[in-house]
Amino acid sequence: MIELQSIVRHYPRPGGGTVHALDNVSLRIERGEFVAIAGSSGSGKSTMMSILGLLDRPTSGRCLFNGDDVSTLSVNEQARFRNERIGFVFQSFHLLPRTTALENVELPLLYSKRSDIAGLGRKALERVGLADRIEHTPSELSGGQQQRVAIARALVNEPDLLLADEPTGNLDARAALELMSVFRDLNDKGTTIVMVTHDTAMAQHARRIARIEEGRIASDSEVAA
Amino acid sequence: MNTSRLIHHSIRTISRYKLRSAFIMLGGLVGAAALTLVVALGEGGQRKLLATERQLFGATSIIIMAGGTQIMGGPGAYSARLTMDDIEALAAAIPAIEIWDPQQAMPGASIRHAGNTATARILGESERAPQVWQRSVSRGAMFDAAAVRTSARVAVIGENTARELFGATNPIDGEILIGNVPFRVIGVLERFGTDIHGMDRDAEVVVPVSTLMRRVMNVDTISMAKLLVREPSQVAAASDEVKRVLRERHAIARGRPDDFKLITAVFVQKMMTRVQRTLSLYLPLAAGIIMLVAAIVAASLMLSSVAERIGEIGLRRAVGARMTDVQVQFLVETVATLFAGGIVGVAAGSAIAQLLANRFHLGPVISARSVVLGIVVTIVTGVLAGVVPARRAAKLDPVEALR
Repeated sequence: MIELQSIVRHYPRPGGGTVHALDNVSLRIERGEFVAIAGSSGSGKSTMMSILGLLDRPTSGRCLFNGDDVSTLSVNEQARFRNERIGFVFQSFHLLPRTTALENVELPLLYSKRSDIAGLGRKALERVGLADRIEHTPSELSGGQQQRVAIARALVNEPDLLLADEPTGNLDARAALELMSVFRDLNDKGTTIVMVTHDTAMAQHARRIARIEEGRIASDSEVAA
Repeated sequence: MNTSRLIHHSIRTISRYKLRSAFIMLGGLVGAAALTLVVALGEGGQRKLLATERQLFGATSIIIMAGGTQIMGGPGAYSARLTMDDIEALAAAIPAIEIWDPQQAMPGASIRHAGNTATARILGESERAPQVWQRSVSRGAMFDAAAVRTSARVAVIGENTARELFGATNPIDGEILIGNVPFRVIGVLERFGTDIHGMDRDAEVVVPVSTLMRRVMNVDTISMAKLLVREPSQVAAASDEVKRVLRERHAIARGRPDDFKLITAVFVQKMMTRVQRTLSLYLPLAAGIIMLVAAIVAASLMLSSVAERIGEIGLRRAVGARMTDVQVQFLVETVATLFAGGIVGVAAGSAIAQLLANRFHLGPVISARSVVLGIVVTIVTGVLAGVVPARRAAKLDPVEALR
């Protein structure tokens, strides 16, 4: 479904010189997979996440989505693509404060061209087990619940891909495990998930781990069941 | 992308930042109130000014003021020599003069009636004052020529003076004391309000000029006179004549300055134009500066809002907001917040303007122009204040913003 082909991403270093964040990375992810991209900080995994999420453009290389090169889309086309095809989950949740769970979940629909949006937010919250929390604001929810609201937001537009960037980074151990079981559940029901993490224990919950070191894929293997 | 959905969402966001929104609204409120207030009052004031000017200085009037150096300074030129004989001589010598009224005045005299005291300006005039000054009595009668001839102690008083001295009772035939001289009230002057000098013309007492000169002030001069010529076209020639005759009668040597001053409609019009220009330029300018301050306050608060909501902006971009959507959101937030304040401000400004106008008898001053101007300027201010924060928000790199 997604194919990164020889992706190179260089940044100018603030004091001069160049950061080689990604150095000729190729990766193929099929529909229905649950892949962890694991690596220490500075390994290039966040850059990879940004490129997969069409938030950043590679210096060279191609990013194919169902065979189409999406790295050359215009800024507005990419925005629309993100809206319709990708759901994002972040380490710091990024929920709007003083805004109910339902309104937070419905945020992507604000930028959608769809007209059949009634009930989607509620349905997404049901999928993450928060049907009874729809009128709660983030400050009234636990960290784990907030992250589940964020997942519902990522799922609301029924995307092809769920991209999670260190989703357990701000959660305690128990909430992190709960979150992983939510991911496994979603994946069992067909959602394609790519999770970026530095936490090797969390990565074990995925079905496949791609390790990234100094901008290159160091290993790529299935997780033993 | 559904624009009305986005606008609706942006407006709802305003209520989530209550304190900041309140400050922006306050800026819009004060700015719009000030603008509406000065425009409404300025227009009302101008209308009143023009009406008063027409009443005081019609196109056919020539005003002679005693004392050459005084410019509309009112009475007080006691050293000057302008007499009833002077004016009678002018009327006899210049056939263009149709009617005239002499005037002597005492500013701020104390008047008493049955234990009540009022302060009023005492004007000594002739029986022709109603025609010459276009102000008659609303109750009772004006004194006649015989009263002037015999220096009768009769008075016509303003409404405010009547109220202060007589309360609710009928002042006609009541006795008042000006200084220690008793007068009988025979009429009440028509309401006038405040004149262009800010003087309350309803706190005034008009008595025969001869009575005021001889029995109260003990002077043999008058402070001014108003002459009306038959046609506006005669004003220029007639005032030249007035000048010639008066200089001759006062034996002013060639090259010496006049010991009187002439004011004609032309002179007054020039002055009015100047006043009008000041009112219509500086008042809105002052309000504009207040609006500018409101815009700066709103812009800086919105900039801090952008800085505080960087994560939110990044998230919106990630879930599909285009740069334009982010820009529209912040612009709508700024405009709508200022607008909300502005509407209240326009209402408050109009209300205050009307209250002040009532106090100064300016009549109704709230105009469609002042209301529309207040609203339009608020919206323009909102757009101006919102553009920079909105562009900054839109230009944020989503990857950076999400960090």
